[in-house]
Amino acid sequence: MPAKPPRPIEKFATAVAKCTIESSAYGKCIVADYKNVHEGKCMAEFQKLKACYTAAYKKA
Amino acid sequence: MRALSRPCLPKLTASIRSTSKCSTRSYAIQAPGAPTIEIFNRRTKWLQRERAAANVEASRRVDYLRDEVAFRLSERLLDITRRFDHVLDLGANACNIARILTQPDPDPVSEKPVSEPLKTRISQLTAADSSKTLLYRDAAEPFNDEINITRTVLSTEETLPWEANTFDAVLSSLSLHWINDLPSVLAQINNVLKPDAPFLGVMFGGDTLFELRTALQLASMNILGGISPHTSPLADVRDVGGLLQKAGFRLLTVDVDDIIVEYPDIFALMKDLQDMGEQNCLVERRFGGIRRDVLAAADGIYRELHAEEGSQGLPATFRCIYMIGWKEGAGQARPLERGSGMVSIKDVLEGRKNPGPDTEGST
Repeated sequence: MPAKPPRPIEKFATAVAKCTIESSAYGKCIVADYKNVHEGKCMAEFQKLKACYTAAYKKA
Repeated sequence: MRALSRPCLPKLTASIRSTSKCSTRSYAIQAPGAPTIEIFNRRTKWLQRERAAANVEASRRVDYLRDEVAFRLSERLLDITRRFDHVLDLGANACNIARILTQPDPDPVSEKPVSEPLKTRISQLTAADSSKTLLYRDAAEPFNDEINITRTVLSTEETLPWEANTFDAVLSSLSLHWINDLPSVLAQINNVLKPDAPFLGVMFGGDTLFELRTALQLASMNILGGISPHTSPLADVRDVGGLLQKAGFRLLTVDVDDIIVEYPDIFALMKDLQDMGEQNCLVERRFGGIRRDVLAAADGIYRELHAEEGSQGLPATFRCIYMIGWKEGAGQARPLERGSGMVSIKDVLEGRKNPGPDTEGST
């Protein structure tokens, strides 16, 4: 029986796992002041993270 | 006291046409049987568990948590030196307790090896669960031949179909946290127990998955601008004692045990929860699941906020609340009356031989 193709969410998880630097930068930005989180905070870091995992997802 | 009139009861002398606001009010009466607030969608939960169990391989892979907790619960049975004729396993999942009961050495830590498996003390085990697929998942495994087990599929776990005074013990491992009306179910458990029979249960409580909860909250707050619940509200340790007492149990023991499991990332954690059939089934949940960008954000936040220094994995806490309660029975030990103690616990703990000057007694 051939191996099943990975579920889309698994592919997504692999893509996110490739972006540790961006993910860590975003996480640090949020956690630095986590009592005051609002929409749009740390968006620069998040856009970098998003660009990274989107690119990784397409490549996979 | 008589002088105090209740202002909101219409006075007998008042005319019927009185337009006073008070006269139109009636007592707020609680319907018998307590109102059931539906927190969890039982049908969704049933579907989730059926689907999870249908994938036998994945479902067995995530048995680590249920097996461990079932083991710790069964260990507590060792402390009760009794034979049980008929035991109920309520919310049996994949009959994890039954498997543990057939293990040759139930207490590997003890100095004096316990050679007899626990099953020798149980004549009949009834395993009950609402999810048929999950309940019968391991029905062909060898342990089924070693223990007299009957599987019962319940239409709902919220109403127990058995007669009063049926069981010599009731066990329940990791299923009570999905019950909507916990007080009622506990009272029903008390009802189906024979007098002076124990109930041993364990459920997730309090801080279970607080890491996931906080990470998802921060991420959805940041990305979506608001939060919707993704993890269940759970009973706290202090609630459990009160609930047991309210259900009529005596000689309560409640204790807490944290099991921390490390996962490579948030996706692995959520995949495992899904394979267990333990994912979100709140009535008030947002349909369509969690958005991917929120997931990616939550993964980063989780790692920064909760990961241990120098560790690659994400810790997830499962707080298990163990409870033991006994149905009232004749000849059962009772707590002494309040204020009847003659020895100061302080003296005992400090190892003082001479009791204080205010207590009478010899050396």
